[in-house]
Amino acid sequence: MLKLENISYKAENKIILRDISMEFEEGKKYAILGVNGAGKSTLGYIIMGLEDYKPQTGRIILDGEDITNLPIYERAKRGITLVFQEPPRFEGISIGAYLTLGGKIKIEKAELENILETVGLSPKLYMSRKVNGSLSGGERKRVELASILVLKPGYAILDEPDSGIDIMSLEMVNNVLNYIASHGGTPIIITHREEMAENVDFAYHICNGVVLHKGKATEVIEEYKKECGICDHPNAPEKNEKAMTSKEKEEVSK
Amino acid sequence: MSINVTNEYKELVEALEKNGADASKYFDKRVASIIISGNRVIGLNNVKGVKLTPTQIENGVKVDMEIEEGTILPIPIHVCTGYVEKKGLQNIVFNIRIRKNAKVKFTAHCVFPQVEEFTHNAISNVIVEEGAIMEYADEHFHSDLGTINLRTITNAKVEKGGIYKNSFTLTKTRVGKLYVEMNLDLGEEASGELVSKIKGTKDDSIEIKEALNLNGVRSRGIAKSTVVALDETKANIVNIAYGNAPYSFGHVECNEITKGDKVDVKTEPILKVVNDLAELTHEASIGRVNRRQLETLMAKGLTEDEATELIIKGILQ
Repeated sequence: MLKLENISYKAENKIILRDISMEFEEGKKYAILGVNGAGKSTLGYIIMGLEDYKPQTGRIILDGEDITNLPIYERAKRGITLVFQEPPRFEGISIGAYLTLGGKIKIEKAELENILETVGLSPKLYMSRKVNGSLSGGERKRVELASILVLKPGYAILDEPDSGIDIMSLEMVNNVLNYIASHGGTPIIITHREEMAENVDFAYHICNGVVLHKGKATEVIEEYKKECGICDHPNAPEKNEKAMTSKEKEEVSK
Repeated sequence: MSINVTNEYKELVEALEKNGADASKYFDKRVASIIISGNRVIGLNNVKGVKLTPTQIENGVKVDMEIEEGTILPIPIHVCTGYVEKKGLQNIVFNIRIRKNAKVKFTAHCVFPQVEEFTHNAISNVIVEEGAIMEYADEHFHSDLGTINLRTITNAKVEKGGIYKNSFTLTKTRVGKLYVEMNLDLGEEASGELVSKIKGTKDDSIEIKEALNLNGVRSRGIAKSTVVALDETKANIVNIAYGNAPYSFGHVECNEITKGDKVDVKTEPILKVVNDLAELTHEASIGRVNRRQLETLMAKGLTEDEATELIIKGILQ
């Protein structure tokens, strides 16, 4: 199990996350729902251990081990991985080489092809193409999703997996979630689109850096639709007073 | 092909293959080729439409290379320049003329596997005539001592509608002390590309000067350098473009990736327009490997060093 205990994070004197606690059980599918700027991606970066995202308070526990101070690659070796919302390009590296990390990951060709097909890319057309600027944003995103399927991760954080991808994306993302789960992994989708969370078991709704709701995905989605659909201040819905500082409350009331 | 110095030939082939090249494909009788070791030609093969004429000069070899008008070669000409001794001097002069409408590629290897105190001076004078196309891919393999002193200068002139591409690659071995200069004069509607990819390690010293002279109407050129500077490498790259003719277009680009507290790198783009209808652009960057790229690979379990290595390998492909 992956547990976040009372995570708080502040950057440039602005509180981004406050006292966040979450639990992710093996084999279940999760979503972290929230509008843009709610702190979802930051939370993903903290779980992954990116350099500039060390929480000021709180702990991250993986199967009983405190991994709060472990570097990225050590967390990755323990099964955690992350797909960035906008993954970078890599000059000169073919998709085939990228998926296997330059040959470091040993995988049957047929399985690799199956993974590319799972993300909607034809192996014949894409295996030799470079992971550079010749790929569109959507193609690049699909390659990134394929790259984490190759890893068969324990916990895969997918930051806005549908962004930049065409209308067929929901089905493809569901395929990705199912693939991860079928290999014993736990996908964690970070999204602002409630329909992306419809295929998961459990969801957290965060707003302005705090958890507003948690529970069955269907229930959290309803709450999210009710509260965030009418909110004129995306990161400080009126009901979320506990998430605001007194100064913010003052600004909202103005 | 007649090989008259078997041991030297073998040493050069072994050095090539050690660095990942499939040497066997270059020594087929259908491939025009020349193999130079020190100041001697140890292998020579001409095919129809290709005249490679070597002459011994002081401490080296001069080769006149002429491709006849309209010749289209399906297989690249192979040029191998080597030196198998530990100390010495080698002077190489190539005079290359690609006649009208000919189309030819060269694959060049410079192999100096065990040199200790060695200087290699190479000058290439190239003329690409009207409508002709020439590509020259030059890859170097040096010894691991880093004590080689190498100067290579290319002066190329491309006539109306011709195309010239030149690449210089030195990424698999130590560099030593390197000076690369490429001067490209482009005539009317001619186009050209100069590309350098070099990886410096330890105390290697790299100096590159690439110059585009866009002399013809609607000529187009690009000069692009990629240098990976590690450890204590010193690098100085100057990319120049002169827009001398109307509707000419030139682009210069330099990317330097650095890793190491003692690297010393500099890049200088120089653009000069003397015709207000010419257009020149440039891009330059110096710095560490992109952090987001590193994090993306580290999130898959690679250490920072492993991720850096994979990124650099791609950049230098």
